[in-house]
Amino acid sequence: MEAASVAQNLGQGSELAGKYLTFSLGNEGYGVGILSVREIIGVMEITAVPHTPSYIRGVINLRGKVIPVLDLRLKFSMKHKEYDERTCIIVVEVQGQTAPVQVGMVVDSVSEVLNIAAGEIEPPPSLGSSSETENILGMAKAKGEVKILLDVDKVVGEGLLQQLAS
Amino acid sequence: MTAGHKPLSDLLDDMALKILMIEPGDLSIVGELLDLTEKLLPGQAAADTPMVIQRMAAAFKGALEKFIMGELADSGENYDLLGQCISEMQESARKEGHPGENILEQFCDNMKKIGVSLQPSALLGVSDAPSAGMAGAKKDALDEDACAVASPQSDSARAQAPAAGGPSQEALPDFLQDTDLLAGFIEEAFEHLESIEVNVLELEQSPDDQDIINNIFRPFHTIKGVSGFLNLKTINRLAHATENLLDDVRNGKRSMDSAVIDIVLTVGDALKSMVENIKDVLQHGPANYQDTDISGFLANITQLQEGGGEAPSVEPVSAPVADSQPEVFEPEEVEPLASEEEAEPVDAPLKSAPPRAAQVAAAPRVEPPAGPAARPSADSAQKKIGASIKVDVEKLDALVNAVGELVIMQSLVRQNKLVSRIADAKLTKDFSQLTRITSELQRTAMSMRMVPIKQTFDKMIRLVRDLSKKSGKKVDLIMEGAETEIDRNMVESIYDPLVHMMRNSVDHGISPSVEREKVGKPETGTVFLRAYQKGGSMMIEIEDDGEGLNTQKIRKKAIERGLVSESDNLSDFELNNLIFLPGFSTADKITDVSGRGVGMDVVKKAVEKLRGKVDVQSQPGKGSLFTIRLPLTLAIIDGIIVRVGTERYIIPTIAIQESMRPEQANYSTVHGRGENLLVRGELVPIIRLYEIFGVESTNTDPCEAIVVVVENEGRRRALMVDELLGKEEVVIKNLGGLDVPGVAGGTILGDGRVGLILDLAGVIANKAD
Repeated sequence: MEAASVAQNLGQGSELAGKYLTFSLGNEGYGVGILSVREIIGVMEITAVPHTPSYIRGVINLRGKVIPVLDLRLKFSMKHKEYDERTCIIVVEVQGQTAPVQVGMVVDSVSEVLNIAAGEIEPPPSLGSSSETENILGMAKAKGEVKILLDVDKVVGEGLLQQLAS
Repeated sequence: MTAGHKPLSDLLDDMALKILMIEPGDLSIVGELLDLTEKLLPGQAAADTPMVIQRMAAAFKGALEKFIMGELADSGENYDLLGQCISEMQESARKEGHPGENILEQFCDNMKKIGVSLQPSALLGVSDAPSAGMAGAKKDALDEDACAVASPQSDSARAQAPAAGGPSQEALPDFLQDTDLLAGFIEEAFEHLESIEVNVLELEQSPDDQDIINNIFRPFHTIKGVSGFLNLKTINRLAHATENLLDDVRNGKRSMDSAVIDIVLTVGDALKSMVENIKDVLQHGPANYQDTDISGFLANITQLQEGGGEAPSVEPVSAPVADSQPEVFEPEEVEPLASEEEAEPVDAPLKSAPPRAAQVAAAPRVEPPAGPAARPSADSAQKKIGASIKVDVEKLDALVNAVGELVIMQSLVRQNKLVSRIADAKLTKDFSQLTRITSELQRTAMSMRMVPIKQTFDKMIRLVRDLSKKSGKKVDLIMEGAETEIDRNMVESIYDPLVHMMRNSVDHGISPSVEREKVGKPETGTVFLRAYQKGGSMMIEIEDDGEGLNTQKIRKKAIERGLVSESDNLSDFELNNLIFLPGFSTADKITDVSGRGVGMDVVKKAVEKLRGKVDVQSQPGKGSLFTIRLPLTLAIIDGIIVRVGTERYIIPTIAIQESMRPEQANYSTVHGRGENLLVRGELVPIIRLYEIFGVESTNTDPCEAIVVVVENEGRRRALMVDELLGKEEVVIKNLGGLDVPGVAGGTILGDGRVGLILDLAGVIANKAD
């Protein structure tokens, strides 16, 4: 039983191993798979869009393309923080309903790109309610810190879907 | 099969290969050869093709046509001559368009043997060579004896033919071997089949026009040829049989009567569904393959051929043949048609109406105002065809997007604070030049996406014909403005709504002839289908001279369903337009044509998706007029930029009636809530934009703000805004996955920020909630 779950974890870990862009929200470190990251831009003026959940800050002009921007702090129900010169928008590409869509995520600051090995990844902790952890792929211990590896498709994709449903 | 512009040498190599594969009796490859040759013709060849090659190709095509038309025996010798001609063309190509005299002489010599008289000097362009070559080709010059003259390569050619694996006799999925070719065939086949349809319907107008008969013959021939090559046995056999039948017609062995026309149309449908099936197979694997039973068709065709020879000049109604047709359909293959045909006796209450009456009636008649090319006759259609290339739609869209961004970037640079402060005459001049160029570029890019709505309209001819035939009503379809151009992306989306509305007009609008005569109308009903441009919009109108809508019945039903209350005082226009509400249908009986429950609400939704509007005007007893208004392009919108607090929104200009600063005297409230403004004697509800969009506004008193009076779906509203900032043509962008009620999309404003474009229908609905 235990062996099986270890094996499962190992299997999961090896799937998840790879390069992650890490960033911080408050005191917490996060990581997103580098393959879904398109670019990182400084925070710019965001046009608010009515009738959307509060974590969708609005839309920005990304070189002629209009893309939605969501605030990860608000998405994870953390306290809102005024944007400063370290605030960044990470533009990620996720599978939309029909075509891939680009979405910006506002984070406190971007750290670095880390190569995370399979052995460093642990399954997400159970925090009681599943809705808290379903966005999380796993926890990585890298350089003595814990990085929360996010499932971008879930965070962003479902963020948009929820908006559509509402 | 669409080779785009292959290098010349590749094309010639392909041709040489094809020649080797030809077996006597198999014309299919000749058809392909013809296609290849056409790519070398003057006007169609790549720009770098030497003129001499183009002229040679023209002559070569003349020779090929003689084979196809059966003027030349398709013997191995003749094909060898063709092969030699190709190798001479290859030689010329190798010499980069400067072949020696002797090569040209050989070419002409070979051509002469085939029966195309040609002078080497003509190939060099001394005289108008291509036409001379073609004229020679038509002259049926030499007899076959000349062709039989020695052909040293014949043995080797024939030896290779089997090796090259001419179409094997086995049927079925070996056609999947070359999926590229197959995909090309599918695309082409659809085009061909559509051309058949249009031509057949034209033929009903002028049954003796040889050109049209040829135009019908040719696609069957090509489909036969290519399908044979691709081993699509069933399609090949069906096309072949039909081709033979048509050949009899061409040769005057029988007349082009209704029986033939019917079978051509039904075969066209069957072929379409068969090709459709092949497409399925290609996309979803061979498991989807359905073998179609075509024996019924073949029997019918044979019967026609045998019967037709005896009485060619009489126009036989040949009822037994026509009636037996439906049975040949495999039900699951051609379901719609089959079921319609079977349903015929059930819902044809007036047997008195002659069954063939509808045929002639449904053919198109086009009035001139729409411009010179509006007549859908064969010759004018040909006139319009210039040189064109196929371009991937995605590339086109990418271009349009890039141009849109260019326009925006230009205005960003121009509005840059530093730049705009420079007072330099040269810079100003250069800027205006730049603006001119970019807007020209924008126009061109946009126009590339525009196509005439003709192709969609043409499909309606068939639809009306079938409908009128089926219902026994006589209906004339009159089309106007088929050349009006519409955004390519809209063409497909507008097709379904149009079909639905046409069905409605024929099925519910036009009464049976008997009833029409009773009320003193002409026996034949008329449906107009018009397209024209009006202000920045494309208008499509469907008008019939039928019964018109029963406004009182609509009102009754609306009250029944609780859509309006007894006390509501609605205008006839408003009542009539209730038919666009979901689930609203006034038809008493549900026929199998329309009224299946999907009503006009589907039409409305589809049109609104295209940012268009649809409404209906009707006069009881006189008919009804459906009007669809569409934007010319989906990419650009003309809008007024308004400010609400710190946000800016764009209101589509098309919807704006006026704007004003209201006076207190005209402002009134109901129960302290429902705000109204008296505008030119009419009460218009006020919508506070800042309220529904949840933003801080500068003004909360309407009399200090500005109201913009807009109209949408016949409803007028006064939108309260803080300021009007200007008018701009903006490129519409979607919000990258966000779908917000009341917002149609976003655009990049002059300062680089995103502005939201209002969707008035959404805004009004939002307020109503």
